[in-house]
Amino acid sequence: MKIDHSQPLEYSTQQNQMNILGFWIFLGAEIMLFGTLFASYFTLNNGVGSGPSGSEVFEITPVLLETIILLTSSFTIGLATHAMRINNKKATLAFLAITLLLGLSFLGVEVYEFINYYHEGLTLQTSAFSAMLLLTLGTHGAHVTFGLFWGLFIFLQIKKQGFTVGTTNKSFIFSLYWHFLDVVWIFIFSFIYLKGMM
Amino acid sequence: MEFFERFAIPNASPLIYASMVAIGLTVVAIVIGLTYFKKWGYLWKEWLTTVDHKRIGIMYIISALLMLFRGGVDAVMMRLQTAVPDNSFLDAQHYNEVFTTHGVVMIMFMAMAFIIGMMNFVVPLQIGARDVAFPRLNAISFWLYFTGAMLFNISFVIGGSPDAGWTNYFPLAGTDFSETVGINYYMWALQISGIGTLMTGINFIVTIIKMRAPGMKLMKMPMFTWASLITNAIIVFAFPVLTIALLMGTFDRQFGTHFFASTNGGMDMLWANLFWVWGHPEVYILILPAFGVYSEVISTFSGRNLYGYKSMVASMVLISFMSFLVWVHHFFTMGHGALVNGIFSITTMAIAVPTGIKIFNWLLTMWKGKIRFTVPMLYSVGFIPLFTIGGVTGVMLAIASADYQYHNTMFLVAHFHNVIIPGVVFAMLAGLTYWWPKMFGFMLNERIGKWGFWFLSIGFCLAFFPMYITGLDGQARRMYTYSAETGFGPLNMVSFIGAGLMAIAFILIVYNVYYSFRHSPRNVGQDPWNARSLEWATPNPVPHYNFAVDPVVNSSEAFWDAKKNGHVLFPEKIKKIHMPNNSGLPIILAGFFFIFGFSFVFSIWVGVIIAALGIIGCLAYRSFEKDPGHYISREEILETEKKLGGASNEN
Amino acid sequence: MRELFPAKQVMGFIFSLVLTAIALSVYFTDMSFQVGMTILLITAFIQAALQLVFFMHAGESQDKNAIYTGIYYGIAIALVTVFGTLLTLIWGYM
Repeated sequence: MKIDHSQPLEYSTQQNQMNILGFWIFLGAEIMLFGTLFASYFTLNNGVGSGPSGSEVFEITPVLLETIILLTSSFTIGLATHAMRINNKKATLAFLAITLLLGLSFLGVEVYEFINYYHEGLTLQTSAFSAMLLLTLGTHGAHVTFGLFWGLFIFLQIKKQGFTVGTTNKSFIFSLYWHFLDVVWIFIFSFIYLKGMM
Repeated sequence: MEFFERFAIPNASPLIYASMVAIGLTVVAIVIGLTYFKKWGYLWKEWLTTVDHKRIGIMYIISALLMLFRGGVDAVMMRLQTAVPDNSFLDAQHYNEVFTTHGVVMIMFMAMAFIIGMMNFVVPLQIGARDVAFPRLNAISFWLYFTGAMLFNISFVIGGSPDAGWTNYFPLAGTDFSETVGINYYMWALQISGIGTLMTGINFIVTIIKMRAPGMKLMKMPMFTWASLITNAIIVFAFPVLTIALLMGTFDRQFGTHFFASTNGGMDMLWANLFWVWGHPEVYILILPAFGVYSEVISTFSGRNLYGYKSMVASMVLISFMSFLVWVHHFFTMGHGALVNGIFSITTMAIAVPTGIKIFNWLLTMWKGKIRFTVPMLYSVGFIPLFTIGGVTGVMLAIASADYQYHNTMFLVAHFHNVIIPGVVFAMLAGLTYWWPKMFGFMLNERIGKWGFWFLSIGFCLAFFPMYITGLDGQARRMYTYSAETGFGPLNMVSFIGAGLMAIAFILIVYNVYYSFRHSPRNVGQDPWNARSLEWATPNPVPHYNFAVDPVVNSSEAFWDAKKNGHVLFPEKIKKIHMPNNSGLPIILAGFFFIFGFSFVFSIWVGVIIAALGIIGCLAYRSFEKDPGHYISREEILETEKKLGGASNEN
Repeated sequence: MRELFPAKQVMGFIFSLVLTAIALSVYFTDMSFQVGMTILLITAFIQAALQLVFFMHAGESQDKNAIYTGIYYGIAIALVTVFGTLLTLIWGYM
């Protein structure tokens, strides 16, 4: 394995560079995945049947809370990467932990939001709109959940092994994933919630 | 017993019971055979756990041939049923199931597997790499594809086949009209194999971008590699659409949502829309690698370099983007206005332009060439006129107003078989024959191969050209029978005869493998076709590290340059080589996916949860696993090269 | 010391908070649908671009051409899919 020391550790081998590029291409596919969800959402937007519409169930407080939590977590994972590049293990682990906790609290608010919808009579079976809303939010939420486990594994590995060619690469890729989830959320926030409440 | 009742076949017939017995006996025979010859260990160590792109490619191709058999039997059954008016060989329901599985198997599990298998085998060799970028992921891709294929294929003996056509339109595919678990099988089989395909797409893009031999700039890649790059780009952006559509379909069928229902705000047209947003790019995913194969074959057997390399690349790039702009032409008759139909009519016709450019390039490559009519070349030469007919009828179908006449008739069936069979199937057979010596170290018999070609081509013309006529006369597709007064009888009989000839061609092609295995000489050398691109610089069959020394390249026909112009391909000395380790994880992961899919099909939630935990466990294991790979020593390489008579210098 | 301070990340964070606040104005003030949508489109895409550049370091790798091509291609086709679907299923019937 050839290690190129002029590069940050996560880019230092051919395999690492390929991992990062491969993940970027995967994110391209994810753009399309969420693009399809948005296309379907906009199509079924008015298909509320006899159930409530978006403007009737959306509430600004939990949505704003989720947005700020996720934006902050995107910031902290960025700080974790930064700390990794200046070789500060403690700070990296701390920021990674904060990110995961923020992710967990995001999920908590989202679950609260879903329970609220349930009480207002909006479930998976209510209408095409309700199902599409829950599927879109659920897909994003499932990504966050997956990310929590993934991040935890990486946390444990950095804790045990320190910064290696492997762990820095994984944690950089994880940061890409997490930022991407934030980008998706920005679109959900803007074009599902704000557009729905406008 | 109540638990097991759900696995019963809803529309049992003697045919299904017979195939059930046949499947059972085959499985028993394979198990006994493997045990008797003590091959379990070999199978596990050398094949099931392999991460070698060549072996994975070969496994893809074997699966594809199996699926070709399965889909082919379906095809012959359909032609037999419609050969005469008012036939009662199959009932309506059974006929529905047969055309559905025929379509899905042929597209998803035959054609896709064939092209991905071919890419797996050829692309790393053509770019001078030792493997793909993510060998482990490649194995996972294969096993997920295989899981999907098996899941789909057991449907007709456990629980019932899907019956709403390969396009699976809602509301027909909803639980109201399709009560059995058949469509659930469709959803999960495609979902699982689709994940595998997406991973393949990412894998090959990275491989081609990052692992090319020194000196091989993008514009110096062999054309098949270019075609693979573009194809995989389409895969990466098209398959997520299918993922979502299938997910929504699953929710509709199993969780009572109303995405594609006509009540509670649902919209059944949305399925058709999403399906074709994926489905039309899918057509180009199938055809572009075929174009790549033809480019290689035509240039090799004309003894000339490929005419118009740059325009070939440009047209593929254009096709890749345009393939996402035409999907609505699959449902012109759905009632959106003239504006929408007009837009998609024009984009559809426009996409014929880059395709036409490619046809002219192939013709000009042959122009004044010294053409050798080998089997791969015969398929390529046969492809050009036949595919052009398919393309021209495609442009006819692109005229939205006229489409009201053609829509859902046999004319359409004739058209897409006319592009897929001479396009994809011919290409894969050409490619298989062409690269066969690279894979196995001996040539396929030319004589039997040529018989196979003629049977296939003539059979194809007889089977599908009559459908253009009956289609224009109004014979609808997917009708299990018709009355004698319609006058469709004689032409359908001709179709049946054509299908029979194609079946004979398939038998000849399989027999050719057996015959050549027994009788072909093994000393064919590394370059039996006098070929041009880099993969021919390796010994036959290829050692598992591919190239003993990294090749250095300065044109798209590096091997030809080395042969004719004194280019030095291997300037460096042999050094130890780093290779990835085999792993059992991919097949175990796929096993969990199988349990997951199967349990989900029957809504057995305990199985779903257990399998999901298994999948997560595999992923966690992978995250913590350290897999540094292994090294092959210099001495071992020298020995292997000596034995194989490799091309690389011995110092 | 300058190298130690994550200036890029802090800037990105501040920008994203500001853009979120601007986007929120469509909820808190009364405006027409067109104006609101325009604001949302602008803020959302700028935010996405900020994440890409400030946080994800899209341009730092040797493979930035491949990365940008992939992302732009994905965005272009996603937009085609969204608007094409709306054209086909909604606007085409109006």
